[in-house]
Amino acid sequence: MTAMRVDAKVVMLGKESVGKTSLVERYVHRRFLVGPYQNTIGAAFVAKQIHVGDKVVTLGIWDTAGSERYEAMSRIYYRGARAAIVCYDLTDSSSFQRAKFWVKELQNCEEHCKIYLCGTKSDLAEADRSIRQVDYHDVQDFADEIGAQHFETSSKTGNNVDELFQKVAEDFSSSAFELMPEGTGVDLGQKKDSYIYSCCHN
Amino acid sequence: MAADVHNKAWESQNGSLVPGARLRHERSDSPTPGLVEGTEPGAGQESAMFVHARSFEDLTADSDGQAEVNSGKESDLGQVKDEEGRVVQHIETEDQQTGTSQGGARAKEEDVTSEEWRAHKKHVFVLSEAGKPIYTRYGTEEALSSTMGVMMALVSFVEAEKNIIRSIQGDGYRVVFLRKSPLVLVGVSRTSQSDRELTRELLYVYYQIVSLLTLTQLNHVFQHKQNYDLRRLLAGSEHLTDNLLRLLDRDPGLLLSAVTCLPLASSARDVVSSALQAAKTKSLVFSILMAGSRLVTLVRKKDQSLHHMDLHLLFNLVGSSSSFREGEGWTPICLPKFNTAGFFHAHISYLQSASDLCLILVSTDREDFFNLSECKHRIVERLRRRSAWQALQEALRCPSYPVSQVAIPELRHFVYKSKSSGLYTSPELPVPYQTDEEQERLMVLYQYLHSCLHHPTRPLCSIYRCGETENLFAWVTSGFELYLCFSPLGTKSVAVSAVNKLLKWIRKEEERLFILNPLTY
Ligand SMILES: Nc1nc2c(ncn2[C@@H]2O[C@H](COP(=O)(O)OP(=O)(O)OP(=O)(O)O)[C@@H](O)[C@H]2O)c(=O)[nH]1
Ligand SMILES: [Mg+2]
Repeated sequence: MTAMRVDAKVVMLGKESVGKTSLVERYVHRRFLVGPYQNTIGAAFVAKQIHVGDKVVTLGIWDTAGSERYEAMSRIYYRGARAAIVCYDLTDSSSFQRAKFWVKELQNCEEHCKIYLCGTKSDLAEADRSIRQVDYHDVQDFADEIGAQHFETSSKTGNNVDELFQKVAEDFSSSAFELMPEGTGVDLGQKKDSYIYSCCHN
Repeated sequence: MAADVHNKAWESQNGSLVPGARLRHERSDSPTPGLVEGTEPGAGQESAMFVHARSFEDLTADSDGQAEVNSGKESDLGQVKDEEGRVVQHIETEDQQTGTSQGGARAKEEDVTSEEWRAHKKHVFVLSEAGKPIYTRYGTEEALSSTMGVMMALVSFVEAEKNIIRSIQGDGYRVVFLRKSPLVLVGVSRTSQSDRELTRELLYVYYQIVSLLTLTQLNHVFQHKQNYDLRRLLAGSEHLTDNLLRLLDRDPGLLLSAVTCLPLASSARDVVSSALQAAKTKSLVFSILMAGSRLVTLVRKKDQSLHHMDLHLLFNLVGSSSSFREGEGWTPICLPKFNTAGFFHAHISYLQSASDLCLILVSTDREDFFNLSECKHRIVERLRRRSAWQALQEALRCPSYPVSQVAIPELRHFVYKSKSSGLYTSPELPVPYQTDEEQERLMVLYQYLHSCLHHPTRPLCSIYRCGETENLFAWVTSGFELYLCFSPLGTKSVAVSAVNKLLKWIRKEEERLFILNPLTY
């Protein structure tokens, strides 16, 4: 067994505790862990195969930590990503501000990265409408403006989670088909050229 | 309670020492355990894995100026953004306190005006030089901002007179101050620990914070803005410091500046070590395999050694968070005893998702994740192919041993540290010490013995102390430190003869209990 070859790099971004790890956990392991919340330290990588039509695409998912402490490092996690799932918590409006920050960062630094805006914890927002702090249509407008996809998911119930990742894989697979000869993916093990970090902070 | 104290070295009484020959079979047969560093049971065959902390004094001495040369330095450290760039985030962090960072079992909600809060045995506070709260062990930082303001005022008041405040003693408690610019750490303790020990614990907390941020970044943020709220950068790491403080109360390793190993047949350990050694890549500096809080093996780059304090910080990082259980972690970490200025990058993963075996690969290159991931797969593959895997699984089933194996009836527990290897061994805690309170009480006793052996001006070579609940004996030579706990029925002569028997037993078992052949790549 050697390390799995990864076709597409997918990065999870968003303020801390919005539910990035829970989303990956639900998608990859089909479960929702209850119990005390554990911040991600740095980032965690997991590879997952997904069927698109009759093809198999391997997503290399980077679940990053939302803490500001790692912000200066964030580029190593999203550099070369083909898709970014930018998460915000439907019950926390400040998390949407933070999502906008990540969108800007990606637009500046990763023009080939497709953006998926993901409102999390939809089960909470549905159970009690009054706690919703981020309006669906506001986000949809923003998504149209930046050319992003838009989902609302619940990692607790699993609602819309598979659909989100399926869409990511399909988009990748059709764009990969356009961009390169069939069968060649992006080998993330490859060394990239070094880059100048400060470019994305000006 | 009687304290019987010897100031004379024991070396002379015990006569001849083991000669320099260090072949393994001779070591095992040698009748007298070596009293000289390098010949004691558990001493490694070659150079030590750890940076040599010869003494407690090394540890408490301020060594910031003498950090070793490193290759892990990164260039982006100066790039912490200035305040203007962060206006939005600032607002977010202010109102996020309600929703996040209430990690696990933290007693954060505790009312700081309550009796329970006051009654905690040991408080730890961290504040900035502007008096802003950064961390409190109990209660919330917000509720304590005026208290911390007063602490800072006190520090500044004394410093204005060109003095330094170190500690205050009051009615049944002491307050200890540690000034590590740009931070101020304050401990308030009701325990019997000395100022020095409390200061050392604060130093650990300081290094915990540095390991997350680097000193460079820490200095940088405060240079830009004196009253910066550091909790923004530390958000989500409180449980690391909480856990570290728990370890300081319980884990003899942190007290002794040493690490303990998973008992494992030396042949199996050698196979594991060479699997780690074979899976190398250019950027790799340390490969560490641990089982729970025990070391299985550590392989390091030639000429580099790891400070036990840095290793404890790594253990604490892995041990306090379940987030490495799934997938592969990739995180920046500063090893402050190696270098306070730069980040290493650690690849952290469990060999199997349900197992206790955690592999930490420490690299200098933050771009090297996939190479390290490949190393991990090679290690797993190689271990699976060998019988060592089976041996490892069996060792994991009994990661400790009962003191009865030593067959000394009065002996309840002991801690033995081989100085030259920086490794210690200790049996599992026997029945009377299994509750948290009793475990901590025993640790307090060991701490007391330790402080007698390491007294800055009048260090003792050995100490025997009778108590109502147990008798204690401690002995330090240039080769080892030994702490023993006997039932209260024993006598001093029983204790003395037990020591010889125990040392022989450790010598006999040393291949299993220690890492005698540390490897490098
Ligand atoms: N009800 C509900 N709770 C959720 C959902 N997703 C996450 N949570 C909770 O939100 C908290 C944070 O979830 P995480 O997935 O750890 O958050 P994160 O974004 O990974 O946080 P960081 O690693 O700190 O950046 C946890 O207590 C989860 O149980 C959801 O869909 N519904
Ligand atoms: Mg997370």
